[in-house]
Amino acid sequence: MNLLRGTGTRDLPGPVRSLLSVHMPALAVGLLLLVTVTASAILQPGFFSPYGLSASFATFLPLATIAAAQTIIVLGGGIDLSIGTIVTLSSAVSVVLMQGDDARLPLALAAGLATGAACGLFNGLVVAVLRLQPIVATFATSSVFGGVALLVLPTPGGEVSPVLTGTYRMVLAMYVPIPAVLLVVLFLSWRLLRGSRYGQHLYAVGGNAEAAYTSSVPVSRVRVLSYTLGGAVASLAGVALLADAGAGDPTLGTELTLGSIAALVIGGTRLRGGSGGVGGALVGAVVLSLIQGLVFFAGVPTNAREFVYGCVIIAAIALAGLLTARDGSASGASGGTR
Amino acid sequence: MDSPPFLRMSGVRKRYGGVTALDGADFEAHAGTVHAVLGPNGSGKSTLLKVLTGVVGPDAGQVRLDGAPLRPRGPRDTLAAGISSVYQELSLVEDFTVLDNLVLGVEPSRFGLRDRRAALARSLPWLERFAPAFGGRVPVRERVSDLDPGERQVVEVCKALVRDPRVLVLDEATASLRRGQVEVLFEVVDELRARGVLVLFITHRLAEIYAVCDRATVMRNGTDVATVTVAGTPEAELLELMSGRPSAGTSGSRRTAPVAETDTAPTAPARTDPGADPAAPPRLEVRDLTGDRLHGVSLHVRAGEVLGLGGLQGQGQSELMAALFGAGRRTGGTVLLDGAPVRPRSPKQAVRAGFCYVPGNRGVQGLALGRPILENLALPSVGRRALLGVGLSRRREVAAARAVAERVNTRYGSLDDPVSTLSGGNQQKIVVGKWFPTEPAVVLMDDPAKGIDVGAKAEMFDVVAELAASGAAVLVGSSDDRELVEVCDRVLVMFEGRVVDEVSGDRLTEDTLIASAMHVTGADVAAAHEGHPTRLPDPEPRHAEEGGA
Repeated sequence: MNLLRGTGTRDLPGPVRSLLSVHMPALAVGLLLLVTVTASAILQPGFFSPYGLSASFATFLPLATIAAAQTIIVLGGGIDLSIGTIVTLSSAVSVVLMQGDDARLPLALAAGLATGAACGLFNGLVVAVLRLQPIVATFATSSVFGGVALLVLPTPGGEVSPVLTGTYRMVLAMYVPIPAVLLVVLFLSWRLLRGSRYGQHLYAVGGNAEAAYTSSVPVSRVRVLSYTLGGAVASLAGVALLADAGAGDPTLGTELTLGSIAALVIGGTRLRGGSGGVGGALVGAVVLSLIQGLVFFAGVPTNAREFVYGCVIIAAIALAGLLTARDGSASGASGGTR
Repeated sequence: MDSPPFLRMSGVRKRYGGVTALDGADFEAHAGTVHAVLGPNGSGKSTLLKVLTGVVGPDAGQVRLDGAPLRPRGPRDTLAAGISSVYQELSLVEDFTVLDNLVLGVEPSRFGLRDRRAALARSLPWLERFAPAFGGRVPVRERVSDLDPGERQVVEVCKALVRDPRVLVLDEATASLRRGQVEVLFEVVDELRARGVLVLFITHRLAEIYAVCDRATVMRNGTDVATVTVAGTPEAELLELMSGRPSAGTSGSRRTAPVAETDTAPTAPARTDPGADPAAPPRLEVRDLTGDRLHGVSLHVRAGEVLGLGGLQGQGQSELMAALFGAGRRTGGTVLLDGAPVRPRSPKQAVRAGFCYVPGNRGVQGLALGRPILENLALPSVGRRALLGVGLSRRREVAAARAVAERVNTRYGSLDDPVSTLSGGNQQKIVVGKWFPTEPAVVLMDDPAKGIDVGAKAEMFDVVAELAASGAAVLVGSSDDRELVEVCDRVLVMFEGRVVDEVSGDRLTEDTLIASAMHVTGADVAAAHEGHPTRLPDPEPRHAEEGGA
């Protein structure tokens, strides 16, 4: 008998109400995708050509991957402001070890992955064991990782292995670029994680950590692992950036941090955790990349691009928020009287 | 009980800072029994069970379960030992479906993936067993956030049962349940007892102890006072054991007119008998109020009068308070405060008009639990002390808060401690007391004593009487008829959004209230009532007998 609860959807039968509120975010981000793809097809010449698709997916993949990494962390109730510099550091380590030599590729990739996971583990321990506020703790570690990246690779450069860049540019069956395949693989891996006990525990810890603890979910372990997984996945974004650019850069991923958060919010993931998913974040990242391209192709003057881009993102987030705002179940805290 | 006890806790000690919660408590219970743990607030019963469930680590003492020592470091260990607890603060993830909550932490899995079919096989029997408590449905795939508080509590019970416990701890598990739901729970408890499960039961409703428990251990001041066989112990004796003094005082069980009078007389000299001065103008008058679940409510309350809202649960009592406080929808009717119409559109406007509101759900609506006692006490009246509307002086805030804390007799460590460090009863006194400095004209209380113990309840209603004595009109909604009889001058019985009966004077007994709530007068409402056979309040048969004697 919560007297501050609104009526609205309360009149619908329970299962219908549950279904609606569960699928609303997916509908919202799907609509955004449809709009941006349609606009791109109109404004961008050759958008659906093999070359156009390949170029588009090559830019989607890094942001999508880092958004997926951030989503895993956010779902568990955390946030990682260092995720961009994890990308930078792991790609710096990879490119320095790679030295443009295909034979050293496996070693370089493994080292990059290990670097990302180690950074994530460090974040996770700081947050879950030392109990520092995630937003401040990862802000601090982002400087640490960025600083180490500058020590490893002081100036832009380094040579990426030709096999890596070549594969990244490949297009299968005329219309299926390799980055698109990787995007699908990323999504399928997420579904696997979601289906595991760990996936369920991740949502439980983000949704109500105390309830999870009393239900015998190992809360700290789940948190540490979420940061570690996030770091590892972020390092994959580093690999994608290397493959796309062909060279290393000690500031490569830094600006992607906030993009990753914007993408997951557009994708319907709740910032305080426990609700949402990587699927939405991937689409959110694609939408975000498309908007960036649209601003360019719509002929916005160079000086105004950043401004217009920002405004469009605000509109997209607002739209996603409006469509997913549920009355009833979410009210309690808001204390509204509608 | 010749066999060795299944559960034995001995010499358990626990201190929180300077407060001793457990001072060498011993506890024994046998498998296949339902064992009540009783005691006033701060008696240590919650801490004792938290030690058992591993939420709290004891400073000293031993726990042996089935002969083996148990040293849990957390819920994982106790779960492995076969101890399941139904928590008072719910342990459910709101975003999850009922099914996902039931198996949370014990998800069956195959090839590394969660096995939904196995989860369903484990959960479904319990949900089906409790179907009557869900209004006949089996809400496997509904999300917990879409369930009402009673249903969530039932899910919580199912969750404990899915873990197939050897020891089941029910900590105030019935506080938010309707009578029909309690009946199902008690049936299941009987089945568990027959299967050799030990059920530990904490409740403030004595009738439930007599209904379902075999034995009872009474706690006081951090230690066990006595363990008795329930069937051979009269209620008065249990109350004496709990309070440590003859039960005539604040325990409130023996409601006879003289006791009720002496109970409130010293603190409420101005309290008037409504029959004595029917000519006094009403402080609050409501005429034909309509809104959500309200179909034309009329009532009046005089200054210094305590008016009860009784009847079956969910008949518009909460909605009436919400509408008066500007938090609920009002579609028609008039509300007169001291003869002048008021129509607050928000709680803020209502407070300015002279209303204050005391919710039963103190954690959500009544308190900022993590904030200091000082701020919670000062919050409603802060605008009155602000210099030029903005400047606050800590000295004045402290003085104001201290005055209130003293007035409501709250025990606290420091005003800077978070409210969450107080016991439930003391928290509720803060919820009521924080309104004192605003000098409210109308006090609205919606089931204010839910889940607090007998002693704290009596003290809190002393505070209510004092508010009334200061000239406020007090409106109290409660699901506990005995509570209404004790504190109210008159009680209005509500049914389906209308006032159907008024009970006062000599007629004001639990018997009359129960009868009035269930056999409502008027053919139309009587017919409508047939449709709600399970939504009864908690009439307590034992007490009804006593009241009649």
